Amino acid sequence: MTEIGSRIRLIDAVEKVTGSLKYGSDFKLPGMLYGKVLRSPFPHARIVSMDVNEARRLPGVKAVVTGLEEDLPIYSVAGENYPDERLLARDKVRYIGDEVAAVAAIDEATAREALKRIQVEYEEIPAVFDPVEAMREGAPRVHENIKQNIARTIHIKHGDIDTAFRDSDAVVEATFKTPLVHQAYLEPHSAVAQWDFQGRVTFWIPTQSPTLARMTYANALGISRDKIRIIQMPMGGAFGGKLEYKLHPLCALLARKANAPVKMTNTREEEFTASLPRVPMIIKMRAGCKKDGTLLGKQAEIVADNGAYLNYGPGILLSATIRHDNLYRLKNVQTDSYLVYTNKVPTGCFRGFGCPQSFFAFESLIDMLAHEIQMDPADFRLKNASQSGDTTPHQWYFGSCGLSEAITRSTEKADWYSKRKALPAKRSQDTVYGIGIACCLHVSGNRSFLPFFDGASANVRINEEGHVIVHVGEPDIGQGSKTTFALIAAHELGIPIEWVQVASLDTDISPHGLGTFGDRSTTLTGNAVRSAAIEARQQLLEAAGRKMNVSPSTLSIEEGIIASSQDSSLQMEFKEAAQIVSFERAGATVIGHGHFVPPNVCMVDPTTKVGNISCAYPFVAQIAEVEVNLKSGEVKILSLTAAHDLGKTLNPLLAEGQVHGAVAQGIGFALMEEMRLKEGKVTNPNFKQYLVPKAKDIPPIQTLFVESNDPYGPYGAKGLAEPALTPIAPAIANAIYHATGIRITELPMTPEKVKAALENKA
Amino acid sequence: MKKRSTLNVRVNGEWVETSVVRGQSLLDFIREDLNLTGTKKGCGRGDCGSCVVLINGRARTTCNLSASKVEGQEITTIEGLAQGNHLHPIQEAFIEAGAIQCGYCTPGMVLQAKDLLDHCAHPSEGDIKEALNGHICRCTGYVKIIEAIQLASQKMKVNPV
Repeated sequence: MTEIGSRIRLIDAVEKVTGSLKYGSDFKLPGMLYGKVLRSPFPHARIVSMDVNEARRLPGVKAVVTGLEEDLPIYSVAGENYPDERLLARDKVRYIGDEVAAVAAIDEATAREALKRIQVEYEEIPAVFDPVEAMREGAPRVHENIKQNIARTIHIKHGDIDTAFRDSDAVVEATFKTPLVHQAYLEPHSAVAQWDFQGRVTFWIPTQSPTLARMTYANALGISRDKIRIIQMPMGGAFGGKLEYKLHPLCALLARKANAPVKMTNTREEEFTASLPRVPMIIKMRAGCKKDGTLLGKQAEIVADNGAYLNYGPGILLSATIRHDNLYRLKNVQTDSYLVYTNKVPTGCFRGFGCPQSFFAFESLIDMLAHEIQMDPADFRLKNASQSGDTTPHQWYFGSCGLSEAITRSTEKADWYSKRKALPAKRSQDTVYGIGIACCLHVSGNRSFLPFFDGASANVRINEEGHVIVHVGEPDIGQGSKTTFALIAAHELGIPIEWVQVASLDTDISPHGLGTFGDRSTTLTGNAVRSAAIEARQQLLEAAGRKMNVSPSTLSIEEGIIASSQDSSLQMEFKEAAQIVSFERAGATVIGHGHFVPPNVCMVDPTTKVGNISCAYPFVAQIAEVEVNLKSGEVKILSLTAAHDLGKTLNPLLAEGQVHGAVAQGIGFALMEEMRLKEGKVTNPNFKQYLVPKAKDIPPIQTLFVESNDPYGPYGAKGLAEPALTPIAPAIANAIYHATGIRITELPMTPEKVKAALENKA
Repeated sequence: MKKRSTLNVRVNGEWVETSVVRGQSLLDFIREDLNLTGTKKGCGRGDCGSCVVLINGRARTTCNLSASKVEGQEITTIEGLAQGNHLHPIQEAFIEAGAIQCGYCTPGMVLQAKDLLDHCAHPSEGDIKEALNGHICRCTGYVKIIEAIQLASQKMKVNPV
């Protein structure tokens, strides 16, 4: 029996460890050409003219496409109603890296050479880089029709914020800034596209959502969706950065023009200059509480620096605006948020979807409040923590909530109370110690955008040899969801997990799923796989029952053997039952269909943004212990304790891995990572200058799982991967404050920043 | 025509006699000419470790190394590590310890571990972290990779390869 909760190895680990798995960037077709993109060298310029003749004449060049020659529609991602980009710039370029033209040639070197031979005459126009400046009257407009570059505003208000602050014994306020950081997935974006004679294009792409990619690329290319087939390739990391991406439809554009398959792959420099990093935010936030620690109100203003095109910016802004209000029992909240265009690289989704930014502000502020009223920060959080059964002002309903338990268990594990008392302590002349805590919550699927539907579906297919293949609409993006789905199917079917495969996605075959993002896979797709497996099992049991002449309700399957509870002599092999069903139906495959519509979930109100956007909310508490060097400003993390209410641990081996990876990315966000821009140009577009955590940067991590058994999650399971990152930065900031009394409000907390703050204080 | 030069190199135990384009990287030769795509490209400038192979038993990045520089040498890529269907103990350890997520860094990590364990049978945690310093993994936080290398060290002690 494949048990839920046992340590199950990755089912595709052998392919990965032997190098035999073909990733997107490994894929080739016979006769394939190679494409490259010409990108704007200016942050803001009109395209006066373009001459591609010399490029076209270069031997080996098979196609050249430009925004001036191609009739390219204006579109936005996922069919949203804010179209603001074309595949190739037509009138003007809006950031350094903006796609201007593309070339397909017999090899990459020829394609690169051809790019050099394209003559573009630009007329530079004033650019705007700072989002606050961009919002001023008279600032250069990134998009002519958008006044003051404000692409979206959100105003939310619940309760009475003025009274809340008037009644508060302590009110704190600060302005926080988060930097432009990259997902830094190890495999750069790639695509292969090929058209057939019916005018249908097939993409072989690593993507988190074939469904959304199909919709967006149809709109970007001006063709109908049924003309697009997407075959999802295994991917070397995603973290939100591998939803829709322009390189894919550009590849199709070239393939159509060249009448040949084309492959395109980004360089690492292109990744840094022209993909979709995390939205930087400036967050001014105020909060107040009573002397006894009762949190009364929170007010915020968020300016989100979107860059040149919107992508998922509106959804990210909404998430940054609302989610943190639901962590504690907070009734009076008011937030005004602005999504602002600038002449910089467009931004997009990255693990946390706006929460790493907003919780850095919010959870730092909570620490400041606790300090103001001289209350222990963990006790402050426990006093205000949301609980199971709560409904928040945003109408989020918590069917399960393990926040208090996560705080309690992490404080016990980290020896919090004795360390808070003993610390801050000087260890030597130059170093001090501190310990800090921060929390967050997240969703398991997010209904706040994508109007079509919510939930997931799955098929469990059993062939006549008893071989099981699971089809889902949510790709494995490297986190191991194939293993999770195989575990669920094997558990329900009563067979060894080795008998189960999970297919990669193909839009001609797979269920129409929304894709992998918003921590939705385990909870939504997991439920769908479970019900599909139960339906398939029922078909086998009915066939076995007919053969054995017993009621199927008396049969069960264990270790691949169907047995009767009434007569132990009655047994049948799993594959025999599969064969009976198949042969009775002229060879048909046994297929169990399953779907899951998350209950009590709705779209948010367009104005108030009120609505229960998820059926299950995970909660996290994390504690960081730091050593701060008073001379150099260097922050060394000594330990991290991470407690996660994931509802139920389906597979501890993979769950621990999710926490470790998220913690590492959180450390990068907190201390190291920042894309530095000068006049709109990324000045550190490589891993030598853009530092991500390496093995030596990772402290010992204590991982704790709180099992709150969500009523709607499969076996009680909720999301895990995203919230595991969110509290790291504020936990470290709070530990630095405990150690030194300095409050760092701007990420990353580099030695230079800490040193400057220490000198300022002295 | 691009200038080509001859190259004789032993890859995964077999001699290859061929020619390469002048200036072609060893990574490009391995991936495009030999179709051994287990060796990955992550950065193109030696910063991430995805393209590490063993050259005469030592781990080396290949994206920033000219193919012509390995004339007459012995190269082991990830495809050459397992003996038939028998995984190398390091590969087994990576699977057992849960050291693999997306798997893109895995070939480079495994070969770096082989170099380390072949030259230092019982490395300390610090030795392992030092050896991994040229490698980026964005998924695992390295914790289970370090555990895997420690586990592999034990496995190789019991059953020397």
